[in-house]
Parts: sequence; structure tokens; C-alpha cells
Amino acid sequence: MGEVIVITSGKGGVGKTTSTANIGTGLAMLGKKVALIDTDIGLRNLDVVMGLENRIVYNLVDVVENNCRIKQALIKDKRYPNLYLLPSAQTRDKSAVTPGQMKKLTGELRSEFDYILLDCPAGIEQGFKNAIAGADRALVVTTPEVSAVRDADRIIGLLEANEIRRTHLIVNRLRADMVKEGNMMSSDDVVEILAIDLIGIVPDDEHIVISTNNGEPLAGSDCQAGQAYMNICKRVLGEEVPYLDLEVTKTFFQRFASIFRK
Amino acid sequence: MGDTVVIKGFKAGIILVLDPAASYETLKKDIAEKFKASAAFFGEAAKAISFKGRGLSDEQKIEIVDIIQANCSLSILCIMEEDPGMEEAFKKSLERKLMEQDYNNTGQFYKGNLRSGQVLDVETSIIIIGDIKPGAKVISKGNVIILGSLRGNVYAGAAGNTNAFVVALDMHPVQIRIADTIARSPDNPGKNAKNETKIAFLDNGNIYIEPLDKDVMSDIHL
Repeated sequence: MGEVIVITSGKGGVGKTTSTANIGTGLAMLGKKVALIDTDIGLRNLDVVMGLENRIVYNLVDVVENNCRIKQALIKDKRYPNLYLLPSAQTRDKSAVTPGQMKKLTGELRSEFDYILLDCPAGIEQGFKNAIAGADRALVVTTPEVSAVRDADRIIGLLEANEIRRTHLIVNRLRADMVKEGNMMSSDDVVEILAIDLIGIVPDDEHIVISTNNGEPLAGSDCQAGQAYMNICKRVLGEEVPYLDLEVTKTFFQRFASIFRK
Repeated sequence: MGDTVVIKGFKAGIILVLDPAASYETLKKDIAEKFKASAAFFGEAAKAISFKGRGLSDEQKIEIVDIIQANCSLSILCIMEEDPGMEEAFKKSLERKLMEQDYNNTGQFYKGNLRSGQVLDVETSIIIIGDIKPGAKVISKGNVIILGSLRGNVYAGAAGNTNAFVVALDMHPVQIRIADTIARSPDNPGKNAKNETKIAFLDNGNIYIEPLDKDVMSDIHL
């Protein structure tokens, strides 16, 4: 039976879609059969980040409205044959799908895939409710900014209220140099505020911008962000992986790793 | 004239339910009378037709269609065989026929840019004065001509017309579909592609995109 993971944040622009693309790619690289579902109906992006936009014929709304079979709508990734994308519809809005339909859809995909990742839209309205309906666990993405952390806190509360108890935190776009100077919250600070387990720290890395624009996820590549995403994938699978030393001179992250070693 | 003939009408067509007990000659007479009586109701419309209740030979079907057309202003475009998805099939065949008749050589204009999420769905050919952005879509049963840049999706010949074509001043589509054939953009587009007017057309099940020159233009069939 596959596991359904929703990637959510509350605030927009913190890296949900980028994280979904990279974690999905990473899990596929580790040999898992993965389906990515873009639930951001009307503002679809995941297909662009994956570089699969030109292959879209059917989408999520077509599937729930029975205009096509699930197999017809699933797009096979360019590089990894065990990675699939179910794109969202661009011409409709969130109300085109109900939480019940999402639950049924993820239920059907469970038997086929090891992991089903749901890219959640920003906000806490219908789109969010649809995305979390069928989820077993959640990855909450936040940046080390007060506004993003506030929204993440709200989201964690809503996830708990919806009986999703396995919630992990990804701190995205962390700048080690700014943390060192005391100008940015550290991932320790964020974890302390949100009080959930950390599953990954992704540094602010210009390679991410390049990879997003080229439509090629960078999980597993040599850059720091690529390594960080690969480590998140391994932790999703239950492996224990030490946190990256984002800057060699920093002892901070080493301390950090020892705190969160389970 | 009893209930030997029942007319069931819906948007795209009519079903004629015939009494299997009555003779063919009586039926013909009753059909003529019924349609004469309801000529005003049907008005001038194009319909598809299907027969129910009794078996008819092809000659008899054509004779009945002639009788109907002689007694009212309906034009019967096609005769449908009975089957479960009949109403759907009716609609499709009718649309196809209608398109072949009128829409291929008529067109309309649209001025403005089509942005992501917008869909322009037209029955005729369409000339767009503006750009098609990524995520936007144009669906036409005829041809599509874009006086601007094409960076989104286009579906020409949406009713199955394989002669449909797409012209754009700046051709960089995400996807082009003509009739039932879909072509997608290359995954690694060349950076030095010139911005020139190009045409996309269907040939032997493949979609080709070529500069719009004299040779290509002479091959266009409307």
C-alpha cells in the first residue's frame, strides 16, 4: 500500500512546488514508484517545474469528472520511468474538486504507487481541504521568516484538527551566513516555535532558480540544495541521515544534528 | 391516424417510433400528416434522425426522410443507427456535418491577448489579433490564425477536420492539436530559433511546422 504525503505551507512562495518536484524526483531516484499530484487548480505550476507542461492532455479535473481514466492523465517523467505527474487544470478553480473525490482518487492510486505526493495550494480554503483529504502524513514547508512561520503554525493546527498526526517540517531557503550574524532565524528557532519534528533544511541556493526555470529538478545533484533534498527523501524512507554542514566553519549545524538525531 | 407514428425530438435530432403492426403504406401517410401538422413547431432546423420500433430497409429510410423534408422545413442531415450512446452520437455526427457544410470557410475575429487559464472555443475559423500566452487555449473547428505570438495550446479542426491549419507570426506553442493528432514542443528548444511566420499542418498523421512560403501555401486545402 502506498503512502500519501501532502506538501503544504499556508503561505505562498516558500517552496511547496519546488519541494514536491525535488522530493518526488529524489524518491524516484531511490527506486520508489512515485505519483505527484498538483492540486493547485487554476494556478498550476508543478508541470512547469517538472518540465512536463507540453505533455498535458488530460488533468486532475478530467479524472474526477470521469472524462478520462487515471492512466490517461498520468504523465511519465522525462528522466525517471517510475515517476508520474497528474497535472492540475488551468481553466477551472478549486471548487471543481471535492475532498471526497480527492480521497477516492488517492485511494485508487495507493495500490499502484509507493508514494503519492500532493502539491498543496497556498491558503487554507477549498484547495487546502482537497489536498489534505486523502493524506496520511504531511510535510510543512516554511522559510525562516516570521510571516511564513506564523502561517505554518496555523497549518499545523489545521492538520492536527483533520487527524493528520505525522507532520514534519522542512525549513527552506536558509542562509547560514545570515543566521551566523544573527539576522535570520535559525532552524533551531523555527523548530522551537512550531514544535514539530524537523525532516530537512534546504539552503538558499541559486541552483534552485536555474533548475526551476529549466524544468529539471535537482535532487541528488552536487549542489547543496540537491543534497539537502536527497537527504529529505532518505529521511522520508525512514533512514537516519545527518544534516548537511551548510558552512564548514559553522559548528552550529553540527550541534543541530546531534539534537535531532533520533 | 392513430398512434402509429410517434415523434420524439431533442436538440440534435429526432427519433421516429413506428408501430410494427401498421403497414408501411399507412406509416408513410401518417408520417406525412404528422410532420405537416408540426412543421411550424420544428421550423427550419438541421437534424439527425433515427428509427425505432420496426425494421426498415435502406430504401424505405431514405423514402421516409424524403417525405419528412417534403412536408416541413426540416433538413435531415444524417440517419443514425440505434445504439445506447445515441444522443451523443447524434450530436457528434450532426456537428461534423454542419462543420463540413458551413464552418470551414467562415471565420471570425478576436482581438486581445489570451492569458493563462483562458479558453477561446469557437465553431468557425478564428483570427486572433493578439498573443496566446502559455496556459491559454484556442479551440476551433476550422483554422486558427494568430497575428501575434503563439506560446500556449491550439486545437484546430476540433470536429475532426484534418485539413485544418494553424498560422502564427511567432510560433512557439506548448502543444498543437489538429483533428486527433497532438504534437508537443521539443523539450530543449533551440535558442536561436528565428521569429518568423510559420504554419502548422497535418500530413499523414504527423504535424509539421514550416515557414509560411509559397509552396506551403499552395498546399493549403480549405
